[in-house]
Amino acid sequence: MKPLLVTSHCQSTVLPRLLRGARLAGLVAAALLLAIPGIAQEKAAAQEKAAAAAPAPAPKKPAEYIGSEMCGSCHEDIAKAFQKNPHQIVETDKKRHFDTKACESCHGPGSNHMESMSAADIRNPLKLRPAEADRACLTCHLNQPTHVGRINSSHAKNQVSCVSCHSIHKNGPHGLVPRKATEINQLCSGCHSDVWASFQRPFKHKLPEGAMSCVDCHNPHGGILPRGLQTANANEPGCNNCHGDKRGPFTFEHAPVRLEGCSACHQPHGSANPRMLTRSEVRFVCLECHSNLPAPTLPANGTLGTTPPAFHDLRSPRFQNCNVCHQKVHGSYVSRDLLK
Amino acid sequence: MRFLLALILLAPAFAQQSPAQANPPAKPEEKAAEATAQTETKAEKPADKPAESPAPSTESWIDGSVDFGYRWLTNVNGNFQQYRSIVNLGEGPKLFGVDLTIQDPKRRLFDRLDARAYGWGGDPYSTAHVNMRKAKIYDLNFDYRNIAYFNAVPSFANPSAPLGFNEQTFDLHRKTINATLDFNPGGHILPYLAYERNSGYGNGIETWVNESTNEYPVPTVFRDSTDNYRGGLRLEYNRFHVTVEQGGTTFKDDDQAFDRTYQGGDRTTPLFGQTLYLTGLNQAYGIRGTSYYTKAIGTLHVTSNMDFYGQFLYSDPKTDVNFNELAAGNFSQINSLLFYSNQLTIGTGAANQPHTTANLGYEIRLFKNHLRLMYSWITDRYTDNASPFVTQTFGNGSATPPATIATALNYGQKVNYDQQQWDVLYDLGSKITLRGGIRWVSGDATVLAGSLSQTGNLVSGKLDRTIGLGGLTYRPNQKFTANLDYEGSSSDNIYFRTSLNEYSKGRARAKYQFNSALGLQARFTVLDNQNPDPSIRYSLRARDNAITLFWTPKSSKFVSLMGEYDRSTVQSSISYLGLFLSQQTSSYRDNSHSATAALNLTLPGVVPAKLTVGGSLFVSNGSRSTQYYQPLVKLSLPIGKHVYWNTDWQYYGYGEQAYMFEAFRTHVFETGLRLTK
Repeated sequence: MKPLLVTSHCQSTVLPRLLRGARLAGLVAAALLLAIPGIAQEKAAAQEKAAAAAPAPAPKKPAEYIGSEMCGSCHEDIAKAFQKNPHQIVETDKKRHFDTKACESCHGPGSNHMESMSAADIRNPLKLRPAEADRACLTCHLNQPTHVGRINSSHAKNQVSCVSCHSIHKNGPHGLVPRKATEINQLCSGCHSDVWASFQRPFKHKLPEGAMSCVDCHNPHGGILPRGLQTANANEPGCNNCHGDKRGPFTFEHAPVRLEGCSACHQPHGSANPRMLTRSEVRFVCLECHSNLPAPTLPANGTLGTTPPAFHDLRSPRFQNCNVCHQKVHGSYVSRDLLK
Repeated sequence: MRFLLALILLAPAFAQQSPAQANPPAKPEEKAAEATAQTETKAEKPADKPAESPAPSTESWIDGSVDFGYRWLTNVNGNFQQYRSIVNLGEGPKLFGVDLTIQDPKRRLFDRLDARAYGWGGDPYSTAHVNMRKAKIYDLNFDYRNIAYFNAVPSFANPSAPLGFNEQTFDLHRKTINATLDFNPGGHILPYLAYERNSGYGNGIETWVNESTNEYPVPTVFRDSTDNYRGGLRLEYNRFHVTVEQGGTTFKDDDQAFDRTYQGGDRTTPLFGQTLYLTGLNQAYGIRGTSYYTKAIGTLHVTSNMDFYGQFLYSDPKTDVNFNELAAGNFSQINSLLFYSNQLTIGTGAANQPHTTANLGYEIRLFKNHLRLMYSWITDRYTDNASPFVTQTFGNGSATPPATIATALNYGQKVNYDQQQWDVLYDLGSKITLRGGIRWVSGDATVLAGSLSQTGNLVSGKLDRTIGLGGLTYRPNQKFTANLDYEGSSSDNIYFRTSLNEYSKGRARAKYQFNSALGLQARFTVLDNQNPDPSIRYSLRARDNAITLFWTPKSSKFVSLMGEYDRSTVQSSISYLGLFLSQQTSSYRDNSHSATAALNLTLPGVVPAKLTVGGSLFVSNGSRSTQYYQPLVKLSLPIGKHVYWNTDWQYYGYGEQAYMFEAFRTHVFETGLRLTK
């Protein structure tokens, strides 16, 4: 009967809540959408005005491809080092249709730049809008498995372009981006400084020690899981890559492990609490969920936590760290109470 | 104010080992370049900066470095178990690091081989990595890690028990091996093979529980391993990409507990006049698991304005259970007031969890890519069919027939999750990008209830959440970037009392590069969550403010500085059922300050020496007031063209207000040579 009660409760509240949430989200989206035509109009008008005021520039002929050899005649040092750059393959490979034009595959046709010697006449991805810079890279790299999660990537949505992390002119087969754990962590913490601060806490994963890197757990290109979390064995959380013993399936599952993930109880970036727990005492990690009264009126928001174990004397230190006894808290093969 | 002053004064001395410092000492110009890379993304470099020249290529066959030496520890003052739980560095000769690159000029077996290894010689984290490749033939990556997991935190178990802190103690190593072999790199058709292994082994002390009447710490041997084999094919063309992968996994868990000593357990008083004790235990797990999985992912570049993305992931893990346990002593079953002297437990069963995940999405770009629409749909669903069967037989050594309890279940769990998200991004000129969107999340779950549940074996929950998204990126010039993000949700149903319900999440980030030497970054994040249900009354507010300063003057190659300060607060309160089911409030507070700094000085000379002073500090007040200091000093002295003498000092100091007996402090010295070629 409980689900029926829950359903009826939800029915009574679902409409106003949905409306409220939709209104909130709608406001943001609508404001943005409404702003666009107006802003575009203003911008177009301003451009027209400016165009009318300024003398008409001499028409420039469309740039043409000149080939990498020509680029190298001036940019000699870059051209020389480029021989060992991973992108050198573009120079010889017909696959991407930029053979003999590797430089221009990113920088665009260079004939105007060659004539004027002006930096303004060549495309520099570093100066482009992030979306434009990404397009230059994705011309070749979109159709690779790395970018299949791009549609969910917070980096892509927050205008963190490819060249923010990748040094295109760097050398070596894997030189475009750091490969050593310490260097990867350094790169990520350059922006995610608040996350890096968490790793200074006593209980944390061993990133400052160089034993792990951010990309062991997160896919910076985006993935199917929230926060770009890596996956294991197709669609399991990436945590299982190292913590294989917590993977299951167990004959007695602990629901939050599947439904909310490890961060329901752990702070994976670091904590002052032992075992990276979210609370300083284990009992509160447990009891904050396991506190639904055994009455028929389960709360609509938070139905899955069960009754607390009333027969334990919580004043006694014996019972204050629940998982001293309920030690198989990630799931058990033989005990419904997760005791063994 | 005093704290701030102290912080400023101590920042260079008390600071953390920044990630870069774990590397072998780099040349000053490399260091400066690294630090610069932190302060500015490449996209934000000054506009007039000329194109950066790549590092000159080496003509040498082999180059690299090796670091080796010796580590000393002063006596660990305080709690040694806690030291091992947090730091765990040991004494002795060490191979700190090897970094090697071999380029075969004749390109016989490989074009280039990169190998590196860190932390060998008994260190708690040893790693090795090899990459070997031959253009258009193969690309081999091998990664190995062995990470020690020692955990014996006194306050974590039962501080008042006779053997208290020993419970839930582990001295384990987790090893991971990852090898992937890609064929035809850079081509259109790329087959690949991979093997991964994750295993844990070691000893520990777990708890053998006799209902709620007593519990006993027992020595345990841990053994588990997961082997994963997979292979696939990638098709990469200009218009589309498809990857199809098939994999399989085997799993085994052979944990064992064995004890032959008399133990009184944690209970300090007799139960109905009888003393409860354990005199012998044999416990063995024999868990075997298999899984196969399928992965199909693809991207499609439909037109210059439209891209499609898709993923289909399926796994089907299965587990077979074999468990047996024999315990002897004096035990009690409180429900039936039964006292007995031995207990035999046999567990069998199986679990099977077919799990499907899929994602479809597309991106449409309009108005010369100024307007982008992104849509993504994700679904994740699994069913869990479990059939545990456990019998417990209680005997008392007399002629009385033993009592038996059998637990047999045959149940199915179901979890469905769906998410849709729309994002609209608009570039307002070249300086401003606006973002807005909406995300709908819904789900339903029927899962195994706790044994005290009033609703039977299964319990159901729902998830319905609507989330509004908004954001702004402002880049007025190459020196300044600001980013704002907002996410606000209204939930109709959530699974757990502590789940996000009515929440708002905001984040602001700004970076300013004053000049080529000096950069500043600030971040601010806040999360506010409310669940006003009268039986829950959950209120959470978490804030994090961080400021980072980089100073890498290019005119002076002799000094660079990185400093970071972070302050975070967490205020959480939620009502819960405490003693005798009385409603109480659980309040958690964390008010912490973290600071890290690294001052790099290059001492003048023909071949310059390098001094690094820095480290980290963490100070928190609140529910677990903690101080953790890790200052360090590193000196690298050149004693030959290719030989450096490296000496490090690092101090580890840890203390807690509530559990003062867990404090420790120690000095760690390392000295050794770095040979380079």
